[in-house]
Amino acid sequence: MRRKSVSYAKYGYIFSAPFILAFLIFSLYPIIFTAVIGFTDLKGMGKTDFKFLENPFQNFVTIFKNPSFQVSLSNTAIIWIINFIPQILLALLLTAWFTSTRHKIKGQGLFKVLFYMPNIITAATIAILFNSLFGYPMSPMNDILQKLGLIDAPVNFMLQKWTTRNIISFIQFWQWYGYTMIVLISGVLGINPELFEAAEIDGASRSQTFFYITLPCLRTILLFTLVTSLIGGLNMFDIPRLLNLGGPDNATLTTSVFIYNQAFSGSYLYNRAAAASMIMFVVIAILSALLFYAMRDKYAAKIKKLEKKAQRRTAV
Amino acid sequence: MSKRKTDVSKYTMKVVIYVVCIFLSILSILPFWIMLMNATRGTFDIQQSAISLIPGNKLMDNFAILAGKTFNPIKGFLNSFIISSGATIATVYFSALTAYALVAYDWRMRKPFFTFIMAVLMIPAQVSGIGFYQFMYRLQWTNSFLPLILPAIAAPATVFFMRQYLLATLSMDIVNSARIDGAGEFYTFNAIILPIAKPAIATQAIFSFVGSWNNLFMPLILLTDNSKYTMPIMVSLLRGDIYKTEYGSIYLGLSLTVLPLFAIYFMLSKYIIAGVALGSIKE
Amino acid sequence: MKRILATILACTLLVTMLLTGCGQEKNPPAPDKPAQNDPATPDKPVDTAPPATDVADDPSVKTLNLWTFTDEVPKMMDKFKELNPDFSLEIKPTIIATTDGAYQPALDQALAGGGADAPDMYCAESAFVLKYTQGDAYQFAAPYKDLGIDVDKLLKEADIAQYTVDIGTNPDGQLVGLGYQATGGAFIYRRSLAKDTWGTDDPATITGKIGPGWDKFFAAAAELKAKGYGIVSGDGDLWHAVEGASEKGWIVDDKLYIDPSREAFLDYSKSLKDNGWHNDTQDWTDAWFADMKDASNMKVFGFFGPAWLINYVMAGNSGGEKIGEGTYGDWAVCEPPVGFFWGGTWVIGSRSSKVKKSVGDIIEWITLDSSDTGLQYFWANGTLNGPGGTKDTVASGTVMKKSDGKVEFLGNQNMFDVFVPAGQFATGKNKTQYDETINTHWRNQVREYANGNKSRDQAIADFKQLVADNLDVMVD
Repeated sequence: MRRKSVSYAKYGYIFSAPFILAFLIFSLYPIIFTAVIGFTDLKGMGKTDFKFLENPFQNFVTIFKNPSFQVSLSNTAIIWIINFIPQILLALLLTAWFTSTRHKIKGQGLFKVLFYMPNIITAATIAILFNSLFGYPMSPMNDILQKLGLIDAPVNFMLQKWTTRNIISFIQFWQWYGYTMIVLISGVLGINPELFEAAEIDGASRSQTFFYITLPCLRTILLFTLVTSLIGGLNMFDIPRLLNLGGPDNATLTTSVFIYNQAFSGSYLYNRAAAASMIMFVVIAILSALLFYAMRDKYAAKIKKLEKKAQRRTAV
Repeated sequence: MSKRKTDVSKYTMKVVIYVVCIFLSILSILPFWIMLMNATRGTFDIQQSAISLIPGNKLMDNFAILAGKTFNPIKGFLNSFIISSGATIATVYFSALTAYALVAYDWRMRKPFFTFIMAVLMIPAQVSGIGFYQFMYRLQWTNSFLPLILPAIAAPATVFFMRQYLLATLSMDIVNSARIDGAGEFYTFNAIILPIAKPAIATQAIFSFVGSWNNLFMPLILLTDNSKYTMPIMVSLLRGDIYKTEYGSIYLGLSLTVLPLFAIYFMLSKYIIAGVALGSIKE
Repeated sequence: MKRILATILACTLLVTMLLTGCGQEKNPPAPDKPAQNDPATPDKPVDTAPPATDVADDPSVKTLNLWTFTDEVPKMMDKFKELNPDFSLEIKPTIIATTDGAYQPALDQALAGGGADAPDMYCAESAFVLKYTQGDAYQFAAPYKDLGIDVDKLLKEADIAQYTVDIGTNPDGQLVGLGYQATGGAFIYRRSLAKDTWGTDDPATITGKIGPGWDKFFAAAAELKAKGYGIVSGDGDLWHAVEGASEKGWIVDDKLYIDPSREAFLDYSKSLKDNGWHNDTQDWTDAWFADMKDASNMKVFGFFGPAWLINYVMAGNSGGEKIGEGTYGDWAVCEPPVGFFWGGTWVIGSRSSKVKKSVGDIIEWITLDSSDTGLQYFWANGTLNGPGGTKDTVASGTVMKKSDGKVEFLGNQNMFDVFVPAGQFATGKNKTQYDETINTHWRNQVREYANGNKSRDQAIADFKQLVADNLDVMVD
């Protein structure tokens, strides 16, 4: 139905030109710079000259063997999984509630606005607040748990690996579920309402409508959410670094914090940092490709059928 | 199933929904509340108990401390505002344009180009930031707002969002009828496509504005002239004095930083409340 | 298939851009850098050249860029201008906090980048000063003599503490940086708790109770515990003393080295924790500050620190502003069980500066002027911004002799009596340019061991691994 106007093809190039230009200059050039550095001996501050290593993959080998890097990979995966699964589930649930035609939620506008609010606050503020909240030996959380009799003596939460991981996951979850919800709602609102009407007329239950119409139609938006969250999650930096410097004992060291430490914690190992960045790039690219594959358009035909059916109904 | 039973289950369902929503709302408001309360409390009180739900009486003292430091909220606000709105406008306008190019035109490099955008979106920002900084330094663009605004033209994530939005809502019939009426392509985009994409643009504008406003690391190393400082830089300077951390004034600074964001957010929030409007392009 | 095509395309693009990009890159020859991580060793070259006499400002330059991490030095500039009305340059301070780890990267880039915004003068904290005087960034620092400062004469005249000179001397034996503070440490204790435990609050007696040596210190800890007091707030308090007292630094001959006294910190930390001799706080956290005003269940006897800790940190957190309020006035200082130093700010002039004369004038006033109008006299007596300001120990022995260290916070004890002799323990020989990072890893592992999360050997092994993983330092 579209993309048939061959004579207009040049506008595709013209309209993407600003993007491409800005992209080449401000993203691609620095990124290439980074990629190249990964194969060189560039380290130490104030150095601008470098030469390629005899074994060009030396830095990559070093990074792969680096135990801290290995730990950071698994930390990143753990923290991402325990924050993203509840996040997407809650966002889907809220989406279902707020877009439901059956029970109109009063004040849902206010709720939507409030749910996105944690995303506004800067990471630095959040880190200060949560550090105070879970402080040791005195803190509100220690007070509450002691009063409830759950613990006898103050607990140093930030020394417990899983507690710290969970705190970071919770912060990520809490900051981003509102964003995810907004994106999903706009996805649902973009679905042809005739589909829902048709489903209702066919006597579909609420959950049937959700699983057979809403979810399949949300595919592209869901893909967007998954991909951006994957990228954001795997690049997670501010909170793990500011909350506890990747501690305790590297339990919340994410790959981005690791990369930052390589580059800035003293030795300016730009080459190793660059190699680690490239490895992460490949990891993310593979995972995203898998996502794209998993979410490919297998529902398209089904939706088309439904659409036709709906049209027929309205025609009648 | 009797009617009464469905009513009851519907009622319980509603209660559950409201309980969950109200709980989440409290979770959302609480940190802001604590921050505002701490802005009125003295450093001493805050160290004694970091969290309080009632205000203190040290607001004026905290203001005095802020004023004594290199903290100029109006200047910081203006700088932040120029950068954030510049970056936001650049992001949403050019992303919509690029997304339109990806959706509406059939050009040979379209698919490879899109794949490539997706690929580079995935590079961790921390280290390419170093290459970026050195590049800006060679261009002598430090202490300029341009390196914080121009890169926003290329926002892959926003392009992706806009593309998906246009794929779902844009009918080429509209474009074609505009063409029949003799409208130029660029005019069509500005006059027809942008209004259609307005809800998506508003939503993305919020995300972009918030991200740009809270960005600390890049401005911090690029803007070294204190007349160019943004709000977050000023606040981070308050925290810099390790000998005596003035928590009260830090919280006050943080509060002042977030207030303009609130204003922008609530201004645009009607698009979040309404969501993506439908119907304008059907038929 | 198309995706593969796109990747190939991208790669080709990368390579082209790369080749053109590389060809254009200007690579200024990096000055030869001796692989020197050890600070001031006695056998290094001594600079005997006379100071430069032909130092002048480039008249076309109207600003002086000052880079620092707190507003301390910029505030001194107000006084400098007041004393030197003829000074015509506009001083442009750039203050970047060290908290977000941004100061060093930004300063490094600015130094390497040069140009009109490059620093003319910059400050470095003791945790990383060696990088800028002897380490990776030493080539950017101008010798004081090249700034027209008569170093040899003034050093003697002002009687500057040797360690600040050691730290500020580059591998060629030239002095490139000096501090204005003297940060020799003492033990700062609560008078009332001392009386309750030992019947006296006399500094000489308490010195004998808590030292010399850590064994006596822990014996005192047990006595205090019997009375229900903790000897320190957390193990971090001890750490600064242990770190500052150790003979060698973290790196010896480019290899990681764990000084026996630093290794012993594992055991100190563990016994403090196991015996409940402290409140288990971490320095610079709320709980640590709270212990300065008795805000926790167990009162804390003392803190380790230099003079700046008393005035900048403890006084503000004591919960009072005059004797009798909070813990204000209930403190005294005595000699620590081991001598140490902690902190300090060094001032460095840039080799590429176009206003070397002015930079030299300012640096001389800050670091070497021992007269009554020199910065250090104001600093020591707390008169920089009018009377009644914060007193501190300064680097110049000459100034210290004519300054009054009586402080209300210490119950009107003259703190200089303790801090001036404490200066002799200060040494730059146990510092390295990576201290900040290595200390963080070390203290994290010590905390893991002290809390029983891992064995002593495991903690040491993990520490070594972390250093190897994150720094360019050889590890056995």
